[in-house]
Amino acid sequence: MTCRFRPESQGHEPSQDITSMPTPTISPTPLRVGIDLIALRDVAASLGRFGVQYEERVFTAREIAYCRSSPGTVAVGRFAARFAAKEAAIKVLCPDQPGLDWRSIEVTREPDGSASLELHDDARALAARRGLSRFAISLSHDDEYATAIVVAQP
Amino acid sequence: MNDTGQLADGIRTVLRDHARLAIDPHSLDEQTDLYQAGLTSHASVNLMLALEDRFEIEFPERMLRRGAFSSIGAIRSAIEELTRVDA
Repeated sequence: MTCRFRPESQGHEPSQDITSMPTPTISPTPLRVGIDLIALRDVAASLGRFGVQYEERVFTAREIAYCRSSPGTVAVGRFAARFAAKEAAIKVLCPDQPGLDWRSIEVTREPDGSASLELHDDARALAARRGLSRFAISLSHDDEYATAIVVAQP
Repeated sequence: MNDTGQLADGIRTVLRDHARLAIDPHSLDEQTDLYQAGLTSHASVNLMLALEDRFEIEFPERMLRRGAFSSIGAIRSAIEELTRVDA
């Protein structure tokens, strides 16, 4: 994946007021967004072929415990949605080269059932370098596909 | 075929079976960017695990961070480093 990270100094500047009407303030905040879509059959195939080896190289212990708390296709959908979330987060973080540890990006559950993003180690350091500290995430899946979107700002 | 050629051939076989590229890996040269050739992030996980099985190795995080799967040559170098027996 290639991406281009535009630092704040190169963001959109407020436009000049050329009329008598008030000019709306356009924030130079570099809002970042990432999205990903994955087929459940691909994740099911990896789980079937590589099993625990796959789970433990990609997901944290908390993620595995949550996904495995439901059987069958529900578990596959949860794993797939979390993989999509990690990929969406990588698009936001825009690493200099491929190879961020998947487990450094973790989807956690809030008491109200909503999902949150926790960054660790390399991902956390990269977010700091990018000036990003606030993240929002949304996940969804059906019987065939899972998707996730991540939004970040300073 | 020398050892280097055999290793690259083995890598291409794993790529064929797990990377789901749009083109035959045996037609790729060693420096072709695999991500540009269609390697997805999810397929790269399968590729990593399949290479570990095939060559009985484990890729450490330091190798993953520097893009060990970006090309056949990069994969070959990583495997050679992991399987090197110092005299």
